Amino acid sequence: MTERIHDEVERVKAAGASAPKPGRDPVNQPMINNWVEALGDTNPIYVDDAAARAAGHDGIVAPPAMIQVWTMGGLHGQRNTDDPLGLMLRLFDDAGYTSIVATNCEQTYHRYLHPGEQVSMHTTLEDVVGPKQTGLGEGWFVTTRNVWTVGDEPVAEMLFRVLKFAPRPASPDRSAVLRPIVGHDNAFFWEGTAAGELRVQHCPTCGRLRHPPGPMCPSCGADKQDWVVAAGRGTVFSYVVHHHPPVPGKQLPFVVALVELEEGVRMLGELIDVDPATVHVGMSVQLALTKIDDELTLPFWRPAS
Amino acid sequence: MSAIADKAAIVGIGATEFSKDSGRSELRLAAEAVRAALNDAGLAPADVDGLVTFSMDNNTEVAVARELGIPSLEFFSRIQYGGGAACATVQQAAMAVATGIADVVVCYRAFNERSGYRYGQVSSALASAPTSSGIDAGWSYPMGLGTPAAQVAMIAQRYMHVYGATSEDFGRVSVVDRKHAATNPNAFFYGKPITLAEHQSSRWIVEPLHLLDCCQESDGGVAIVVTSVERARDLPNPPVIIRAAAQGSGSDQFVMTSYYRDALTGLPEMGIVGEQLWSQAGLAPEDVDVAVLYDHFTPFVLIQLEELGFCPRGEARHFIADGALEIGGRLPLNPHGGQLGEAYIHGMNGIAEGVRQVRGAAVNQVEDVAHVLVTAGTGVPTSGLILGAA
Amino acid sequence: MTAVGETLPELSIDATPTFVVSTAIATRDFQDVHHDRDKAQARGSADIFLNILTDTGLVERFVTDWAGPNARVKNISIRLGVPAYAYDTLTFSGEVTAVDGDDITVSVVGRGKLGDHVIGTVLVTR
Repeated sequence: MTERIHDEVERVKAAGASAPKPGRDPVNQPMINNWVEALGDTNPIYVDDAAARAAGHDGIVAPPAMIQVWTMGGLHGQRNTDDPLGLMLRLFDDAGYTSIVATNCEQTYHRYLHPGEQVSMHTTLEDVVGPKQTGLGEGWFVTTRNVWTVGDEPVAEMLFRVLKFAPRPASPDRSAVLRPIVGHDNAFFWEGTAAGELRVQHCPTCGRLRHPPGPMCPSCGADKQDWVVAAGRGTVFSYVVHHHPPVPGKQLPFVVALVELEEGVRMLGELIDVDPATVHVGMSVQLALTKIDDELTLPFWRPAS
Repeated sequence: MSAIADKAAIVGIGATEFSKDSGRSELRLAAEAVRAALNDAGLAPADVDGLVTFSMDNNTEVAVARELGIPSLEFFSRIQYGGGAACATVQQAAMAVATGIADVVVCYRAFNERSGYRYGQVSSALASAPTSSGIDAGWSYPMGLGTPAAQVAMIAQRYMHVYGATSEDFGRVSVVDRKHAATNPNAFFYGKPITLAEHQSSRWIVEPLHLLDCCQESDGGVAIVVTSVERARDLPNPPVIIRAAAQGSGSDQFVMTSYYRDALTGLPEMGIVGEQLWSQAGLAPEDVDVAVLYDHFTPFVLIQLEELGFCPRGEARHFIADGALEIGGRLPLNPHGGQLGEAYIHGMNGIAEGVRQVRGAAVNQVEDVAHVLVTAGTGVPTSGLILGAA
Repeated sequence: MTAVGETLPELSIDATPTFVVSTAIATRDFQDVHHDRDKAQARGSADIFLNILTDTGLVERFVTDWAGPNARVKNISIRLGVPAYAYDTLTFSGEVTAVDGDDITVSVVGRGKLGDHVIGTVLVTR
């Protein structure tokens, strides 16, 4: 599959720029007016000839950021068959990467445009990178470059990057997760998570904090133990990104972190709401107690806000 | 000198073929391996009075004795903690022989660990056992950490962070094992060496571990026959002396998840094994001619080299560079291909290779072998052996 | 004189449904997720949300409000973060990060209820 994608990417890249696509209308004042009204932009050079001239323009100019508006497909618009972005989107739709999100848009304006100028646009495929594991799911970054011209003169360019990704199923069946055995020595911990607390075993005799807990203090031998409630903040001491095999109640891939709590003990937990690629040792995390059902509340972690 | 060093010898080794689907029962694999080992030793089932295996083995000592027609047993024992038991089965045998409790003890391990029950999957049975192990598992399995690869990866990630080791450093272990396996006709990966680039491009199992950092699950059986040094002199094979045998468990020890110690970059239980081995045998790392190090996952080979004193902490990646682990290198590693290359028989196939190297009868024979170090499962309470020529 | 570190006056935008729809139409973007809540929700969104052309336009407005009519906008580069759904309030803040002759680089963040919606850099000359 990956090979087929790479072949198609090379083919589209080699095909070069799409044919220039002219805007429906030339640059015009009514569309400029719609824009400045909707966005609330009060810059006078877009609507007032004298103000534009005072600012050094040859009369009214269009907002530079409108450049893409002039060549939008419109209400019933269709992509040209040689449009590289369209070709890429179809390729990834077919490959199961059905969702899309734009990530970057970089516009460069070579000059301001005046009403009456007719703009055309062509597109080239700049780059395709993937597959990447992202917070949204596995996907590919597709980067295209648009060039707008008036006649033969390039007047603006845009680098545009989208992520085409395979969305994860809505939510894993977390209730399938493996259950802890609860007994005399650890019930306080699981009762704590259910009560909204992260409890760490504490020795009332010598003060030692301990996790995982046990029935007898290894430091002083005391057999009566209580607990303190942790603040729920810590840092990643180590972590893994689990890809294989499937684990009950977990959505692949997922991150398990060994969290060092502010209180000094370490604890394992799934790190959620995070792009696995951004996890690192030392990362600050915060507790995210998650009720699985009436019998189990698990301590998950998420990046500290 | 310890009470068991140089008292017992390995006189026979036997194995089934290693495969992905043996097509027969685990008990039959055990019986075949034990019979082959006895044949190799020039002994009969009636000579056997002791059997030792792993507590994880599904074949009871009495079932194996029945199949072999062993008339009576006077010693039987099992060792806990998965692959950590491997060398300890031989220690049990050596202790029984050294104390006169038994005369001929066979250590065995046989499983359909590929076609039957796969250890690489998540064990829901372990996680729900009403035992201290089950309670321990409750601190990792519900959080999603429930496979050996993931358990090792957690330490590997920290090791990389602290010492600057890379995935390529891990990959070099796999490449050398596969190079050795490629010339071992009994190996899974006979004729299938890999490159570092192939290691790097193999898919993720649990980051930072690639597929080629992980051994392949296998079906098969291995048996080892132990008797006294005196009796060994009358048997056909050159005796392989058990110069040292030790077990080790460390402070705040867990099974695969000892994550709560100050550092997460070592295997202190293996350090405890190593110190005993050097002391029992009166040897030092530089005296080792072949190292058979437990290699179900590559990162722990690097850490073992450090724990056992072959190099300072954090420097294994430099130690293994430049072909040091290849035959002819500074410390030939796993000439049979290890568990990454030959088969994963819970470390027992490594002991058999140690025996062949001392005998001078291995397919990838290292020259002038006086001492072989063998280690057992890592990340768990473990064990080790030093084997030597008579 | 503009100096590195100068902060721009904040701009607050009420992303009412009317705002989301009128800007989408003004930018000739007729994708249903920008004007039809039922369809937006069917596609997994909480509500209709701002389109990218508007983001670029708002960043432009935010900077030229400060830089004045004489400024020339040369480049607007934005990274997109969390969506800005209808009924959100976006707050734009900015800071001058480089001054090179007439060229002024401004970093811009537009933040909504869910976090950073747009993070950008604008190059203007004046």
